Amino acid sequence: MNVQGIGLLCSRGRGIHAFQQALLEGWREPARLTIKDRQVPVHTVDLEHVQDKSVLKKMRRADKLSKMAVLAATDAVTDSGLRPEEVRRLGVIVATALGAHGTTFEFLDGILDFGEAAVSPTAFSNSVHNAAASYISTALGIQGPTLTVTQFFFSFQSALQLADAWLHEGRLDHVLVGAIDQFGDVLGYIADSRLALAADGKIRPFQKSPGAVPGEGAAFFLLGNKEDERFYCRVSGVQFGTSANTPQGSGLNILDIDGMTSEVTWQAFETSPGARIAAYSPLYGSMMTGTAFSMAAGALMLKAGFCYANPVLDGAQNLPVVKEHADSSVDFMRCIRYNCANESSTIHLMKP
Amino acid sequence: MALMAKPMDKEQRGVYNNRPMQNNDILITGLGAISAAGSSVPETLTCFKDGRRNGGPVTLFETRLEYPVFEVKSIPEAFRRKGLRTISLALVAVDEALRESGLGHDLSKHRVGVCLGTTVASQLNDLEFYRSYRETGSAPMEPVDRYLKGNLAEYVARSVKANGPCLTVVNACSSGTDAIGAASSWLRSGMCDIAIAGGADELSRIPYCGFGSLGIVSKELCAPFDRDRKGLNLGEGAGVVVLERREFAKRRRVSTDLFLAGFGACADAYHLTAPHPEGVGLEASLVAALRQADVGPETVSFVNAHGTATPDNDQAEGKLLARMFGPGLAMLSTKGFTGHTLGAAGGLEAVFTALGLRAGWIPASPGFVNQDPNIPLAPVREITRIAGKYAVSTSLAFGGNNAAIVMGRRSAP
Repeated sequence: MNVQGIGLLCSRGRGIHAFQQALLEGWREPARLTIKDRQVPVHTVDLEHVQDKSVLKKMRRADKLSKMAVLAATDAVTDSGLRPEEVRRLGVIVATALGAHGTTFEFLDGILDFGEAAVSPTAFSNSVHNAAASYISTALGIQGPTLTVTQFFFSFQSALQLADAWLHEGRLDHVLVGAIDQFGDVLGYIADSRLALAADGKIRPFQKSPGAVPGEGAAFFLLGNKEDERFYCRVSGVQFGTSANTPQGSGLNILDIDGMTSEVTWQAFETSPGARIAAYSPLYGSMMTGTAFSMAAGALMLKAGFCYANPVLDGAQNLPVVKEHADSSVDFMRCIRYNCANESSTIHLMKP
Repeated sequence: MALMAKPMDKEQRGVYNNRPMQNNDILITGLGAISAAGSSVPETLTCFKDGRRNGGPVTLFETRLEYPVFEVKSIPEAFRRKGLRTISLALVAVDEALRESGLGHDLSKHRVGVCLGTTVASQLNDLEFYRSYRETGSAPMEPVDRYLKGNLAEYVARSVKANGPCLTVVNACSSGTDAIGAASSWLRSGMCDIAIAGGADELSRIPYCGFGSLGIVSKELCAPFDRDRKGLNLGEGAGVVVLERREFAKRRRVSTDLFLAGFGACADAYHLTAPHPEGVGLEASLVAALRQADVGPETVSFVNAHGTATPDNDQAEGKLLARMFGPGLAMLSTKGFTGHTLGAAGGLEAVFTALGLRAGWIPASPGFVNQDPNIPLAPVREITRIAGKYAVSTSLAFGGNNAAIVMGRRSAP
């Protein structure tokens, strides 16, 4: 299946141009939020980027997660040039690791503050995992299958796999697949308790302890089998295993190293000798669904024939990393992610 | 975990061993169910036969609300996982389904996918954890660790050593049906040979309060499609089917009459919580499922409806079913036996639909007394013989999701 359109929203702004600009500019110090008297660095999405009177006009009661999702999904469809009549055979799969936890806790606030009988129905209905997907289908008039899935670190990869099955089966002509996740103060507390946060806000992917910096955002892809001038790259496979299982030889391994798992991701360096390495998580932060942003970077690079430099090179002296922005003849990329159980996922991308 | 999305040429779509995939090429080789209606398939059938309704007050958590619920009274000890009730329920149903399929409980030698739907198990909504965090600025991390280890499909996949695609569907009340549909797509696309699919959900205080806040919960036992229905009752449980590509089942010399013939899912694109009044998305789902099954509405012997007993759902669904299948359709809602089990509902109701086809009868639709003049269709009032080869199960969900599956049996019962 092919990537025909991309829509993105992260701490660096909305849209593929903002993301390309971030890839060019490199690391930027994240915001610092106060979580229970502690300053936590977070790649948070500024609310000014989550405003669009046209796209969000019927979403006054929606939470930030749903709004980010709708904006990125809309941008992906627009970017693809999908014609209105093609929306009839379009499906949606939203992948989220943690869902609308901010709204869930708002609902729990209601139980604790006002009692069981006086809680907010709006908070409840917006707290369900598939609220964002529902807003997407309503905003874009999509009446195809609309699914939300969760698989923690592999949520996005699993969604891609299902989209591939739907397209193979002929169920649909296009699938809008996206990843969304959100930061919140409870998540900040959990991250502070369970992860080694990078005190200076800089994830260092090539050091043994990269340090985590929580992030949030939405990344959507319009996928189909059509090939035209808008086509970014081909997703030639989604693979799960106990090692990266990547083909030998050239190519670029985009590693999703963000301080959320142990240093097992380093195995990827050994499984694919000859390949170069990049990790862009310092730009958008640590997210279980961060691989979607890696894939966006890969798709942009394959289409442009260009490689973006790693935003943070600390510890990479002896590694075959991409050190400078440069034109590239690489025609094969892999987005590699490990989970806490040392299992891997690899998304294979090929040049158009 | 391993695998794969093997690229296929466009021309190969739907092609199966060099012939077009037939509507009966995905077999149902195992069924498992646990709910308030019983802790196994045989117990459930007895409950259906007796017309017994096991709803009552909440005993699983403290609450001041007084809505009746359908609780599972006992989970066999071997399947209990501390703090993971949804997973415990799922393991009971998976065990029963795998035993029927004859596959055993170590599936590492086969290409097996696991696709399960849920709602409650996907959310970090531990009230005591959050209370502690709010009041003191710190909280014990056990609920978080439990949550992070408790992804439903992943947990089940590890427990049976399944090494194929793995997916937890969180599509609110249609999750179980959508999960079965997703698994059928894997099988049709050749991503696995076997799939464990369905749904599981526990009764939890959070949705209990949430559904209460929406004003759609009844203080009496629910009465799906009845003129005087006052809303739903929540329930819990798990329903699981083992799906298998025919050729693979043949190789292991397993035969069954039951098969999954079609699946369709479509969104209303209308409202976050209310169904489209004309059932637009449900109609499209049914059309898609019947088309994939290659059968017409006239061949459907009964429909196991979503039938939550909320005024809006039953009216939209009932009107549509009457329009599509005619007023003579044999139709029921089993939620009068189980309550609305949310993410488990589609899984349980798929199992119940398969049981109806296999046994040749469906139970009386519990709670129904008087026909609603706004719904030109009434559910069955007594145990009803079924003669046909096809049946349908429908699900509607928050978010305007709709899903339908068509099940078949090769010979009429």
